[in-house]
Amino acid sequence: MNNGDASGSAVISLRELGKVIGGKAILSNISVDIEPGSIVGLLGKNGAGKTSLIDVLLGFSPPSSGSSRVFGESSFNLPAATKGRIGFVPQQDELLDSLTGAQQLALNAALHPVWDEGLIARLIREWEVPLDRKIQVLSGGERQKLATLLALGHEPDLLVLDEPASSLDPVARRQFLRELLEIAESPTRTVLFSTHIVSDLERVASKVWIIRDGRLVWAGDLDTLKESVVRVTLLARDPVPANLSIDGAVSQRTDGRRAQLVLTDWRDARQRELADRFGADVTIERLGLEEIFLELHA
Amino acid sequence: MPPPPPPRIFTLEATSGVPIYRQLIDQVRRLVASGHLLPGAELPSVREVAAEYTVNPTTISKAYGLLELEGLVQRNRGKPMTIAPLRRNQQALAQRLRQIEAQVDSLVLAARQLDLRATDLTALIKQKMQEEYDEQR
Repeated sequence: MNNGDASGSAVISLRELGKVIGGKAILSNISVDIEPGSIVGLLGKNGAGKTSLIDVLLGFSPPSSGSSRVFGESSFNLPAATKGRIGFVPQQDELLDSLTGAQQLALNAALHPVWDEGLIARLIREWEVPLDRKIQVLSGGERQKLATLLALGHEPDLLVLDEPASSLDPVARRQFLRELLEIAESPTRTVLFSTHIVSDLERVASKVWIIRDGRLVWAGDLDTLKESVVRVTLLARDPVPANLSIDGAVSQRTDGRRAQLVLTDWRDARQRELADRFGADVTIERLGLEEIFLELHA
Repeated sequence: MPPPPPPRIFTLEATSGVPIYRQLIDQVRRLVASGHLLPGAELPSVREVAAEYTVNPTTISKAYGLLELEGLVQRNRGKPMTIAPLRRNQQALAQRLRQIEAQVDSLVLAARQLDLRATDLTALIKQKMQEEYDEQR
């Protein structure tokens, strides 16, 4: 599957990417690829650099250092044909308030050589998108649904969504997630979405990028992340030292014979290693993504 | 109206610390060990499971792939996957015990924190199991 130098077939390929705005490093040294057919969830606190990263990789702003390529082309100089393969839903939609939903749809359809009327008709029905009212009177959720529709109509090979589900109710969010899964079912289509709704990401993402202070602190399989990060409790026969000096520990608390720590490079063999080293009973607790995220920010 | 979907056979918790493919493997093993899934029983397709539970299909197909390697399920051309014929009459006792070991570990830890003796704990387990098995009869 992944043969080391995968950048040849990568949909998105970032190399030592950096972005400096007003003397401040917003993104630092980001190197990562996205393979076709994946759903990548981009997770980070407010201000961590999620939107800046999306801006650079879609070519809205140039990198300060390193490179960003989409379908093999430099992000900042994307040919029109490559742009046509991308669908984007920004955090702040760019709908025209004075149009009705139907008018906005017709406008966007006319801008693209390909437009999947069948898909759009189905989603209008399933998502209950109102078309006859002016966009200025639509709710936040209704606008978000409409903006997402507009990004799907031309059957993009790469769909990028910045906080796509933030205004949707739980039912609409579930429908939306189902649609993302459907899109990525095609092995040539790829989805990248940023979110702060961790449970959504946990459902549908196959890969996770965790960004902290402009740096990528994790980029890989969600399953692998969950298997690598665990909370370990040691119950030793004798008092344990205040600093356990254990490799890969992101946090640790000790109290007498008891110690609790979070490790980021767990292997089952470590359970015995730790038990032998500290003469302790060792129990491990697997962490959900939200807890992993909090621990990585501790 | 399409017919209602059959009841779910799995319980997949996306927010659990246990990856979904792991949950699925454990559950198929348990359902087979307990006789709820018999040899020849059809499994829902990767696509069906992913859609029903709204989870990424990659993790489901990973689970099915590993179960196939293990010999517990088999792929059938153009047909649903099925539970493989059992090599022995039933899964070895040791293997079934291994599947419950993690729960026993946490139970033992809790017992230790409560200063319970092994005999007290096993007596309670024995009683609970008796009640559970009586109920099923």
